[in-house]
Amino acid sequence: MRKMSVEFKGTKDGVIIYCLDGFDFNRIIDELAERLKQRASFFADAEVRVNVGARLLSGSEKEMLAATIRENSEMRLAAIENGDEKAFNATIERQKKDKRKAGGQREDRSLIIKRTLRSGQIIRFAGSVVVFGDINPGAEVVAEGDVIVFGTVRGTVHAGAAGNRDASVVALRLVPAQLRIADMFSRAPDGEPLLPAVPEYAYISEDGIVIASINTRAGA
Amino acid sequence: MGEVLVITSGKGGVGKTTTVANLGTGLAIEGKKVALIDADIGLRNLDVVMGLENRIVYDLVDVVEGRCRLKQALIRDKRFENLYLLPAAQTRDKNAVSPDQMKKLCEELKEEFDFVLVDCPAGIEQGFRNAIAGADRALIVTTPEVSAVRDADRIIGLLEAAELSNPRLIINRIRPEMVRRGDMMDIDDILEILAIELLGIIPDDERIIVSTNRGEPVVSAINGSMSAQAYRNISKRLLGQEVPMLNIYKNRTLLGKIKKIIGFGG
Repeated sequence: MRKMSVEFKGTKDGVIIYCLDGFDFNRIIDELAERLKQRASFFADAEVRVNVGARLLSGSEKEMLAATIRENSEMRLAAIENGDEKAFNATIERQKKDKRKAGGQREDRSLIIKRTLRSGQIIRFAGSVVVFGDINPGAEVVAEGDVIVFGTVRGTVHAGAAGNRDASVVALRLVPAQLRIADMFSRAPDGEPLLPAVPEYAYISEDGIVIASINTRAGA
Repeated sequence: MGEVLVITSGKGGVGKTTTVANLGTGLAIEGKKVALIDADIGLRNLDVVMGLENRIVYDLVDVVEGRCRLKQALIRDKRFENLYLLPAAQTRDKNAVSPDQMKKLCEELKEEFDFVLVDCPAGIEQGFRNAIAGADRALIVTTPEVSAVRDADRIIGLLEAAELSNPRLIINRIRPEMVRRGDMMDIDDILEILAIELLGIIPDDERIIVSTNRGEPVVSAINGSMSAQAYRNISKRLLGQEVPMLNIYKNRTLLGKIKKIIGFGG
């Protein structure tokens, strides 16, 4: 008989659905949908909490869970939580260690462009883009990773285009018409543009998009 | 075997037609056999600027549609017998000609002429595509204005995509006083963005307006103006001669020189 990936437990506070460890998330979704459909009337409109064990779910994965419950039953989803505190914390620690060990590295596909990008030219890439040349006004680079320019950026640059807020834009001279990282936009203040004297990089901090000289980088 | 040069800019009104007229005349003065093609079908101007508008019998579209032979459509210049004009049609538009037809036409002219200058219309659509189809090299005309430079940059990108690499730049209508005051982009600012070889600079000159209205390119006038000198220099550079850039910042007319010697300011 097939092993169950999902367990239902009734408590005085309502139903808890446990997503057992070691099972693929999609398998869990499928099984959950099936089991909910079978027992819909039994659960009626009870309140339900989903315990995903030691998993760290992304926003879309959480939405998938909520949708599965919504579409296959009348239960009300109260919370998605991590059970087994110890396992959850262990996952977080391991992720932190990986980041520290890698020293702020990211493995990415990259596109290297060895020319100046002219007005009207647009480069879209699912990875990081390196330009040996300028990005002229009217040109655009849209990258899911970082954008690194050995030249002057006067056009529009979008790093982290798929939502990665860790992405950054680095240039020998950063004077973009518009700069975007993930879902944040920024432009130079109105008035005479100040030509920077040093190479700079742009990244997202709590204050929004920040531009700093690369000499003051403290390994972010 | 001659060379086909397309004179283009992207932006309208920066001086392409005037440049074609004056460079063509300048090259003819240097003894070369030159053909000018007006590729601005529907809005033809090259004939007016050359003063040949009442000599048009056949035009570019007539040739391409086979109503006449190329030789019948070419108009010999009033002043220089080694300079010819192939005018555009005024009653048609840019869709009347295809890039392939232009290419064939340019190839035919190349065999007989040392230089074929194509006056490209403004824009980046069919007219532009037609004009560059038969070209060996491109000359880009811009003025020292942000919008013109932006458009020139776009054009350079399109030319690179069409494998017309290494275009050369002509900066037209520079006003030295404005540059000195910081109110106008200077040559280095423009080259920073466009980053192509500079062929020449032409100062803003009232006499150009007079000349285009009269149908007499400045280069052919007897009293030399600075713009005429600039165009002559560019013509010589096109022939491989090394000519120093015109110093437009020192506007020393003869009177100015005398004043200086005597000690009157200037």
